Amino acid sequence: MSVTDRWADNPFFVLELSVAASRAEVERAGQKWLDMLAVGIGRAAIYMTPLGARARTPELVRSATAALRDPERRVVHELWYLDHAPTPPDDDDVVDVDDGDIGFDAMTPLGWARP
Amino acid sequence: MLTTMTGRPLYVGIDLGTTNSAVAVFDGGVTHIVRNSEGANLTPSVVRVDAKGRVTVGTAARRFLERDPDNTRSEFKRLMGTDRALPFRASGMAMTPPELAAKVLAALRADVHDQLGVLPDTAVISVPALFELPQSAATAEAAALAGFTRVELLPEPIASALAAGWTAEQGDGRWLVYDLGGGTFDVSLLETDDGFLRVVGHDGDNFLGGRDFDWAVVDWAIAAIEREHGVRIRRDAPEHAAAVARLKHAAEEAKVALSRAGEVVLALPAPLETGDSDPFDPELVLTRETFESLVLPLVDRSLAVCERLLREHATAAAGLARIVFVGGPTVTPVLRERVAAVLGAPVADGLDPMTLVAQGAAIHAATAALDARPAGPLVRRGARLWLQFPAVCTDLSPHVVGRVVDGNSGPMPTTIRLQRDDGGYRSDAVRLDDDHAFVVAVELAPRQANAFTIVAEDGAGVTVTVDPPGLTIVQGMTIGDPPLSRSIGVALVSDHVQLYFERGTPLPARRSFTHATIESVARGSADSVLKIPIVQGEHDRAHLCRLVGTLEIPGHAISRSLPAGSEIELTLELDRGGRMSARALVPALDQVFEHVAHLLVPAADTEVLAASLATLRQRVDDLRADAFRHGMPHILIALEHAERDLADVGRDLGAAQGGNDDAGQRARRTLIEIDAALDEVEQSKQWPELEQRIVRTLTWVGGQIAHLGTERERSLFEDVARAVDRARTERNVRELQRQLRLANQLGETAWYRDPDTWPTLFDEATSRVDSASDLPRAQTLVREGRAARDREDMGELRKITEKLWRLLPHDPSARRASYDSGVR
Repeated sequence: MSVTDRWADNPFFVLELSVAASRAEVERAGQKWLDMLAVGIGRAAIYMTPLGARARTPELVRSATAALRDPERRVVHELWYLDHAPTPPDDDDVVDVDDGDIGFDAMTPLGWARP
Repeated sequence: MLTTMTGRPLYVGIDLGTTNSAVAVFDGGVTHIVRNSEGANLTPSVVRVDAKGRVTVGTAARRFLERDPDNTRSEFKRLMGTDRALPFRASGMAMTPPELAAKVLAALRADVHDQLGVLPDTAVISVPALFELPQSAATAEAAALAGFTRVELLPEPIASALAAGWTAEQGDGRWLVYDLGGGTFDVSLLETDDGFLRVVGHDGDNFLGGRDFDWAVVDWAIAAIEREHGVRIRRDAPEHAAAVARLKHAAEEAKVALSRAGEVVLALPAPLETGDSDPFDPELVLTRETFESLVLPLVDRSLAVCERLLREHATAAAGLARIVFVGGPTVTPVLRERVAAVLGAPVADGLDPMTLVAQGAAIHAATAALDARPAGPLVRRGARLWLQFPAVCTDLSPHVVGRVVDGNSGPMPTTIRLQRDDGGYRSDAVRLDDDHAFVVAVELAPRQANAFTIVAEDGAGVTVTVDPPGLTIVQGMTIGDPPLSRSIGVALVSDHVQLYFERGTPLPARRSFTHATIESVARGSADSVLKIPIVQGEHDRAHLCRLVGTLEIPGHAISRSLPAGSEIELTLELDRGGRMSARALVPALDQVFEHVAHLLVPAADTEVLAASLATLRQRVDDLRADAFRHGMPHILIALEHAERDLADVGRDLGAAQGGNDDAGQRARRTLIEIDAALDEVEQSKQWPELEQRIVRTLTWVGGQIAHLGTERERSLFEDVARAVDRARTERNVRELQRQLRLANQLGETAWYRDPDTWPTLFDEATSRVDSASDLPRAQTLVREGRAARDREDMGELRKITEKLWRLLPHDPSARRASYDSGVR
């Protein structure tokens, strides 16, 4: 998963919750979005992030709900949500990591070993 | 007959057990166990076919298990997922494990009909938490054969946790479900927080069960018979099968009797015949003390699994709120005492360990909205609504979502309001949106079924009839989507695993990755097949995971030849029951391949097993000699476990050579587990090297994070570094590797930001370009890469570098180990 995806798929964005959301609010939001997607309510199909609109899918909602159920995983997402601002795309010194290509994490299985 | 169910929803849950099965129903308020035609809660998972082809199931079949073993089959659950058909000699028939399981499921389905007057079409069926994909697929197949049109599979520990959570007033905290069935052991760590149930983790042993208690008694009896009668009975000899079956039957009865008596005489159903001696009837007295000494090592084996689970989740056993026992063997007093004493936690009272799983499955059927009542005649009154809401939920304030899908059958509503039938709540009127949809928040009364009436009005405030006119939501403990029990990924040519779904992923789930082929596939060639092996397990090396299916792209099915390095967009999808489908799109061919071959547990060939056993024994001997030479006592302890498991494999292999397929499967899996354990021993032997790797990794990652990382990455790196220290102190190789992987990911994320990263990787790939599988293409990529570098187009350089790497050669031995994978 690219850095951009990791940021934009943050469960708090997907479920439209604040980091202060209780466990009950997480479950409620997950159920609501899944049900809205199931009956085809148009506004449920998109969520907003600082990087623009993204498609909300049932898989993403389930995954987000599961992530926020687990306190250890939730704290990481809270940190990303609060602090991990995306890399400015116009910064000349920064490699573009968009588009969900196979990514650097996958280079090791491809045969690459760090020097 | 349970007539109270009339007019209420009917949710069916089935515990399809190795030894016994049970069915429960849930009406939204309470669960009931459905008794079979003999009035019993449990139906033996036994099928008999007589000479005329007549099939009997359950207790009636169970009576023939010892007298007529050639025509009576039990414990076929252990063979689910294999393609082995079991013969019934008198009739000449043979049935696969799913066909046999279907007979049991059909009998349970008929019991529901007899008791409730409804033949259910849907159900939730429980499966062991550590079932693999082929075993789950076989269970779903059995359900379809039994006449169920829609089923969901649910891990047994979750089912029992749901039932335990539903029926008791429980406080918050972590608790353990200790589930010992006839053939499998599962342990789950659960947490209740604000009434919400969460599976923290689970572990288990796919081949430890109450049946092993019976076999321990049988082995004791065989030794006593040899000592006192001079007759040697062998479990692996086909000619001794009848004698062994009689001893096992007696052992099962003795085990139950010893929970009340201090000693019992093993009651053999008939004299023993071995072919080598006259029939004889030995008097075997088993004391409770002897029985306990036989089974305690098995109980301790289960406790080691519990402790591993607790350690993995940093939970102190003494801090557990309670232990819930599930499964027939857990009524054994010595087991309860030992588990409670070692873990030091209270045991939950008042729960029936024999039927808890079925009850939980029935409760889950409600969560999954699997009402088993057949649909009545379609009578529409008013505007038809499509409603989505949780049939069961923990949340006291859920939403009801709906949409008018047919406004032609009456006036169209403009507002919707929900009012609880007990008068305790009435929602605001919500205006339908442009899609004729609405979302209404409702309030539930706790721990009961909440019936609501839907009040719809038109623009003039006149009440409009809607269909359905109301809905019911049950408030109580539940769990959301069923979690995946084992991680699933694709074996790559490098013997690494590309992880698609991590253990615990909520189901259903779907994920796609792009792979590259490592060799060409010639169109029309019968021998040319590209394999994409799908594996299941928690290791990052493919050969240590189980192969559960292979997606094949054969030469005869492609529209033109496929060159090496071609892209394959692979999508794996799992439904709520854990059934998998795979889809490979090959853009170069514009073709899709969906046929997953060999979704079966691999056959346990005894010659292969014997060779593997010999290899692993030699490996243990070598490691032991090495450990003595270098004075490494911790390795000797680990090797003791491996040796004990190898002894078990030896015994199972003997039984497999005598025709026992189940033992062969157990031997196959245990060998894989021993192989993985010895890998860890090998790694711990190289501890000094690991120490160096720790230093090297942390230095490199620390450097990257210091120069290029964010503040938060620095904080996360400190956490990981502490975890590395802990793992190093505990000499926990697996955890250490996991933490080092996390550290590497952090470092590599930071390294992304370094403008020199891709030029460095490009140069390295360029230096090996002479060995590329497609040299002209590689040379073109090198030219394109240099141009991209010159114009400082790092995005393009990255894409080119990845393509170049895919053309570099693979290690043939790694490919063989990785189930002959044809993809990177």
